[in-house]
Amino acid sequence: MAKRGAAPLQGEVLQGTLDLLILQTLITGPAHGHTIAHAIEKRSEAVLQVEHGSLYPALHRIEDRGWIASFWGTSENNRKARYYRLTPKGRKQLTHQTNRWDQLVHAINRVLRPASE
Amino acid sequence: MSWKRILRRGNWDKERANELQSRLELGADQNISRGMCEEEARFAANRKLGNTLQIREEIYRMNSIGFLETVWQDVKYGVRSFASKPGFTIFAISVLATGIAATTSIFSLANAVLLPALPYKNADRLVMVWEDASYYGFQRDTPAPGNFISWKTQNHVFEDMAAMSGASFNLTGDGPPEQIVGNPVTANFFSVLGVGPFLGRDFQEGEDHPDVNRVAIVTYGLWLRRFGGDPQVIGRQILPTDRNYTVIGVMPKGFKFAESDVDVWVPMGMSEKTKINHDSHYLQVVARLRPGVTVGEATANLETIAAQLSKQLPESNEHVGAFAMPLRDFLVGKLREAILALLGAVAFVLLIACANVANLLLARASGRQREMALRMTLGAGRWRIIRQVLTESILLSAVAGGIGLLLSVWSVGLLTELVPNVLPDATIPGINGGVLAFTLGVSLATAILFGIVPALRVSRLDLNKSLKTGTGRGSVGAGSSRTRDFLVALEFALAIILFAGAGLMIRSFLALRGQDAGFRPDNIIVFRTPLPRPRYADQTKSSAFFDQVLARIQSLPGVVSVGCASWVPLTNFGGATGVFLEGQTPPPPGQAAIVKISNVRLVNDKYLQTLSVPLKQGRWLDERDDAQATPVAIVNQTAANQIWPGKNPLGLRFKLGTATSKNPWVTVVGIAGDMHQSALARPPRPEIYFPYSQQIGSGYDPSYLIVKTAGDSSQLVQAIRKQVWAVDKEQPVAGGFPLSDLLDDELAPRRTQANLFGIFAGLALVLAAMGIYAVLSFAVTQRTQEIGIRMALGAQSGNVMRMVFGEGLKMMAAGIAVGLICAIGLTRVVSHLLFGVAPLDPVTFVGVPIILAAVGLAACWIPARRATRVDPMFALRYE
Repeated sequence: MAKRGAAPLQGEVLQGTLDLLILQTLITGPAHGHTIAHAIEKRSEAVLQVEHGSLYPALHRIEDRGWIASFWGTSENNRKARYYRLTPKGRKQLTHQTNRWDQLVHAINRVLRPASE
Repeated sequence: MSWKRILRRGNWDKERANELQSRLELGADQNISRGMCEEEARFAANRKLGNTLQIREEIYRMNSIGFLETVWQDVKYGVRSFASKPGFTIFAISVLATGIAATTSIFSLANAVLLPALPYKNADRLVMVWEDASYYGFQRDTPAPGNFISWKTQNHVFEDMAAMSGASFNLTGDGPPEQIVGNPVTANFFSVLGVGPFLGRDFQEGEDHPDVNRVAIVTYGLWLRRFGGDPQVIGRQILPTDRNYTVIGVMPKGFKFAESDVDVWVPMGMSEKTKINHDSHYLQVVARLRPGVTVGEATANLETIAAQLSKQLPESNEHVGAFAMPLRDFLVGKLREAILALLGAVAFVLLIACANVANLLLARASGRQREMALRMTLGAGRWRIIRQVLTESILLSAVAGGIGLLLSVWSVGLLTELVPNVLPDATIPGINGGVLAFTLGVSLATAILFGIVPALRVSRLDLNKSLKTGTGRGSVGAGSSRTRDFLVALEFALAIILFAGAGLMIRSFLALRGQDAGFRPDNIIVFRTPLPRPRYADQTKSSAFFDQVLARIQSLPGVVSVGCASWVPLTNFGGATGVFLEGQTPPPPGQAAIVKISNVRLVNDKYLQTLSVPLKQGRWLDERDDAQATPVAIVNQTAANQIWPGKNPLGLRFKLGTATSKNPWVTVVGIAGDMHQSALARPPRPEIYFPYSQQIGSGYDPSYLIVKTAGDSSQLVQAIRKQVWAVDKEQPVAGGFPLSDLLDDELAPRRTQANLFGIFAGLALVLAAMGIYAVLSFAVTQRTQEIGIRMALGAQSGNVMRMVFGEGLKMMAAGIAVGLICAIGLTRVVSHLLFGVAPLDPVTFVGVPIILAAVGLAACWIPARRATRVDPMFALRYE
């Protein structure tokens, strides 16, 4: 997988960023942990590897803040799985954090590439 | 919210476990769909997810107040592990409790005596003001009224100054005549102290006058005792044998100032003549500094005034300075140094106790190496291990602190004897909030002190090595045993310092006790019966009174001899006056009139013999020396040497006062041995004894009776009092205690100090001995195998003995050497507290190391013997 693009950035994902990625993944609808991790890896073209050791604590943390809610559902192959969905509070948080992220990236880019401006 | 999380985290954890399980199954399903076989699929999914337990733990931790919880865990674990080793635990706790108890007790003494504000308003601005008459042999002399008035009117450093003198009053009426001690004071006395009566009113300026009706303020104690606590006491007339005084106030409970047995205050009422008297030095002066003025500035100002006075009035004031001292220094005196020395001593005991327990914990730690290594392998961080070990230390010291506190509640009562009774009642040592906080702090500090070394040691384990050593009994790291040796050496060094200090204190006490007081107090009872002034102002009257009383007492069966004197030894530091010698050139006008000073005592002819004072030359006083005969006196050896240097004073004449005084010439007829009149620790002062019958030295009238009895004197006390009352039924007779009590009172504080130092040094010795014993025993146990091999290879038990002893000797020698060097430096600190012993007393500095070494070697002997008993076969099979 890694051959196609850049080397995977393992363990380098900033903690707040993982929260943001999880929220963004859930915008398309409820998903369980495995799907969330899979979606992030796939969309980032495998640059971002989500470690399960940090995924589940992150899910727990976000749920505790009330940004996502969880329920038991049945997976695509009829397994019981715990699904997470975005709460209205989480949706607001996603918008807010995405804006902040854009600002941050913009600011960092201006520092890193002043000539391109 | 967080509490809910903690309570619900069990459920949450179950949820997570389920979730992760389902995640595994999902992963496996997917892998199967990719074509893996089932087992492979499950394995791959597992691998992908990693350690699920770790994930769950992390989430669990998110739901806890981590620190508190692990502390609670550690506490529980600590209690369990201590409970499983009761011997070790009891030993460690008792060692620590002893140290903490000693420290707490001495601190409570310091806390009571040195720290709290004295119970006067802004007491830090109160000073005592003294004359500096060092030139005449009195470094701290009670000021003369004239000087007091001059200071008071000329200074610019004090808000106000008050003076106080001593007097006794005879209280008669209901019950037997009672003598009470009173202080005539200036009217502003209580306002300078900033304390007013709780009942009635304070003195007014107009009442401080010789010709007005007299008023009095009484103590709470007298009010309760004599007047039944009746509020109607205000306005009552008291002190009827003297003049009538009207009670106008009662001071609050516990109020006292400078003198312990005072029961009444009356206005001093200085006459105009008194106000310019610069010759009679009898006042105690207390002053309140203006805000911001230091004691040093006050003294500088006083010195300036004193210098002017000595120019203006050279006859009375030449060589007389003045100075101020903080009230607390005056009240606490030398006790301050003693308490600081004791605090130092207990700190040493506590340090030794800490070193001891640290050693025990180190030994215990090496037994727990495997346990710790296992914990660390399983992921415990270094800080976590340190915290666990420290928690255990704190647990130990907390229990020890509790027990120590209980012990000190009991022991603090023993220290009361050290507190001088001139201090206000609030200064009785006890356990209060400050002491509790101190104990808590000390316990915590000790825990960290003795816990930190083992904790660091444990946390620095080499995991590989520790796990590999099968029984945790293999070779001990050299570092660890070096630490233990160092701690033992430290214990010995501290013990030596403490022991040297104790040795000096004890030798001082023995020197003081062995000091020849110059008189023999055996079988002598002391009474005090001062004659009230207006009624006995005429010396013929007081002379007649004592003639009768002495004759009556002498006739009692069981009485060997009876004497009377102005003051018996150890009751008055002063009572001195100038003397002028016949043939001496009078000093030219404009110079100090007095160049020779001597204590003056009026006595009867049997007084000195009753005290068994030796006659060095000449003759004793006798009946012939009556009012009609030539005036005579006996001088003591010191007076003979100092007042008549290089001459034999026998037959020479002198008079009291200055060259111009009208006093008669007196012939010296005898030289008596010296007595330590003022204090055992002070050198004898010049003394002149006049027969009271010749009525010379007005103002020094006898007020003490001493009665030497044949056997048990206690039976006679009441009979003697009755003889006095037979002469004057209103004359109070105080005292009736053995003269030896006065000596005991002198010795008591030093005895207590010496005892305390002795106890602390003993503790230090025992602790140090236990320390060396424990370390050597441990080393022998650890080296059982090595010793076995040595013996198998032919080492004799002597060699093994030597090896173990050598190790102990090494530690002791290092500790003793370092300790001796420190002790030599430190004993200078206590040199003020010593008497008759040099700070580098050879007996102490040779004896102490020998005792310590002997005890230390005895402590080595047991483990050394055990080493020789090692059975080589057993030791080799040991692993």
